[in-house]
Amino acid sequence: MSSVLDVVLSSAFLAAALRIATPYLLAALGGLVAERAGISNIALEGQMLSAACTGALVAGYSGSVTVGALCGVAVATLLGVLLAALRLELGADAIIAGIGLNLLASGGTAYAVYSLLDDKGGTSGLKSGSLPTVTLPGVENVPVLGDVVSGQNMVTWLAFLAAPFVAWLFYRTRFGFHLRAVGEMPDAAASVGIAVRRVQYTGLALSGALAGLAGVFLSMGYVSFFVRDMTAGRGFIALAAVFLGGMRPWGVFLAALGFGAAEALAVQLGSLDVPPQLVSTIPYAMTLVALALYAWRRKRRGRVVPTAASL
Amino acid sequence: MTTTPTTLIETEDRRQYRATRRRDFAVDLSMALATILAALAIGFLVMLATGNDPVRAYEVMLTGPLDRSFRVGRWLEDATTLTLLGLSVAIPFRARQISLGAESQVYAGALAAATVAIFLPLPPVVAVIVPMAAAAAAGAGMGLVPGAMKARLGANEIVATLMLNAIVVRVYDYLVNGPLKESGSSAVHSKSVQQDSALTPLSDWFGVPLGRANIGFGVMLLTAVALWLLITRTPLGYRIRMTGANPDFAAYGGIRVPRVIEWSFVIGGAVAGLAGAHLVQGAYGRLEPGLAGSLAFEGIVVALLARNNPLVVVVAGLFYSYLRAGGDIMEQQTDVGTEIVVVIQAVIVLLVTAQALPNLLKRRIARRQVGVR
Repeated sequence: MSSVLDVVLSSAFLAAALRIATPYLLAALGGLVAERAGISNIALEGQMLSAACTGALVAGYSGSVTVGALCGVAVATLLGVLLAALRLELGADAIIAGIGLNLLASGGTAYAVYSLLDDKGGTSGLKSGSLPTVTLPGVENVPVLGDVVSGQNMVTWLAFLAAPFVAWLFYRTRFGFHLRAVGEMPDAAASVGIAVRRVQYTGLALSGALAGLAGVFLSMGYVSFFVRDMTAGRGFIALAAVFLGGMRPWGVFLAALGFGAAEALAVQLGSLDVPPQLVSTIPYAMTLVALALYAWRRKRRGRVVPTAASL
Repeated sequence: MTTTPTTLIETEDRRQYRATRRRDFAVDLSMALATILAALAIGFLVMLATGNDPVRAYEVMLTGPLDRSFRVGRWLEDATTLTLLGLSVAIPFRARQISLGAESQVYAGALAAATVAIFLPLPPVVAVIVPMAAAAAAGAGMGLVPGAMKARLGANEIVATLMLNAIVVRVYDYLVNGPLKESGSSAVHSKSVQQDSALTPLSDWFGVPLGRANIGFGVMLLTAVALWLLITRTPLGYRIRMTGANPDFAAYGGIRVPRVIEWSFVIGGAVAGLAGAHLVQGAYGRLEPGLAGSLAFEGIVVALLARNNPLVVVVAGLFYSYLRAGGDIMEQQTDVGTEIVVVIQAVIVLLVTAQALPNLLKRRIARRQVGVR
């Protein structure tokens, strides 16, 4: 047990936890924005994957990491808008359209990489570079804190800034108020003159952009290449964090951080005699239990149980 | 069917109802075909844009799977798993429950089938049936968890099933790499199932090499028919359909909606468990890492394409596996990656879910008919 504690308290673990939590944080906040706008964004996974692939490919061919990252985020944003358009213009079910977009991303990225590079696995043959890390001059030399905080990737910083940003957006701006009103009850929002569709389009675009940033981090953060299906279900986990966090910015922040920490723990414990696969199930099992507890509490309070999006 | 004498108005009503049904069916069918053609056309354009020869690619893709008998076998084997997984989500979908849990259910089924089929010595015939029953039970159990959470507590079934997937996939991975790994083998897989537990290959029956296709195909067909009967001809099926159409109305009419939701998950889970048994006892003969691949999610596509009608799921499953098999052959013989099939599939999903299109068409036809009268 003490060896587990040693691992948890080590600065390497804490730094890894922040790093691993980054994509979860960004994608979960993206999912939160969409959810509060009234359209479930189950396509987070596909948006991340497309952004990761586009980022690595564009960066590789243009030679500019910045251009690559921007293009990656742009593609994910477009996918967010596409999801909104399918829902709002064509009456598609958001969940099924999301599944479709995930498939499109999975097939499209693999097809693009294979067509361009003749490589089934990914873009490791392409030199694409990675996004810079941020070193904090003063803090760098402080023991523990310096190791944990300094030298993190710039996207990690953005991820941690994204939570207060989303909280500010939701509760301090007119747009956030409109967004929540639209998500809560679109008809009521429309009746007081809120442009429901425009708010939902903007919300889904923002959602896609955040997921895109998460994707760019995967292929251009610590590695500098895209691997086929490299998101590996992170988008779905982020979606779970949205619900686990009670659909509030700081709740979602904590849930995503928890997922990141648990995964980091699973990696670090790999050196001990604990099977890493079993350790990595802990956050999901916890989510399942938490989901049941929340629902049970809500039911006991007698509130109307919202039925999930329909088919 | 009772044979009470019917009035003229009733006969007229029934006639009109049948006419509407026929018309809707014709629209649905032509929409499905149009969707597939549109998706293939988009695939054509994508291949053209990426500098490939789409004509040759489609030629290979669409004729390839029938080329040789073992390719037909590959197709049928793939279709068996895929259709079972499609059927497994079609049932909860009918009750308007978005169960994404086929992945957890198929792996639970595979584990159960493998454990029984490897370690429990049983007499012939029974040795085939017991592991399959175990798999169905394990899958049903996996379905019961999110089903009960949704039905009794109102917990979001999408999150519950996704979490369960994440857990079961990891546990499966652990078991295949650890306790169930065949000792002394360098590759990661379990011991093979006992001879008596293997599903009989179709090659034995038809005398031509059909690869790994086995009598699981027949089991799949029987399952589809059974589910169709369940949905259309039994009280439970009626309750499932009513719950899916309008849960409030169903509850008002005296249907215990939570119980129906639970059953829809359990039945779906059992069918996905059977898919796991087919993989273990038929296709692979043992546990291997990532046994089901992406089939669990592709089953959702098949169910959607078939609009959750069990018999149509079979057709959609056969069609979709045909594309998958053709895609693999296309990749071997041309420069086009098999992933184009996934792109085509994604376009199909997006077109199918764009419900405004067929409804618009149906309404227009109905309006024209009314105008005629």
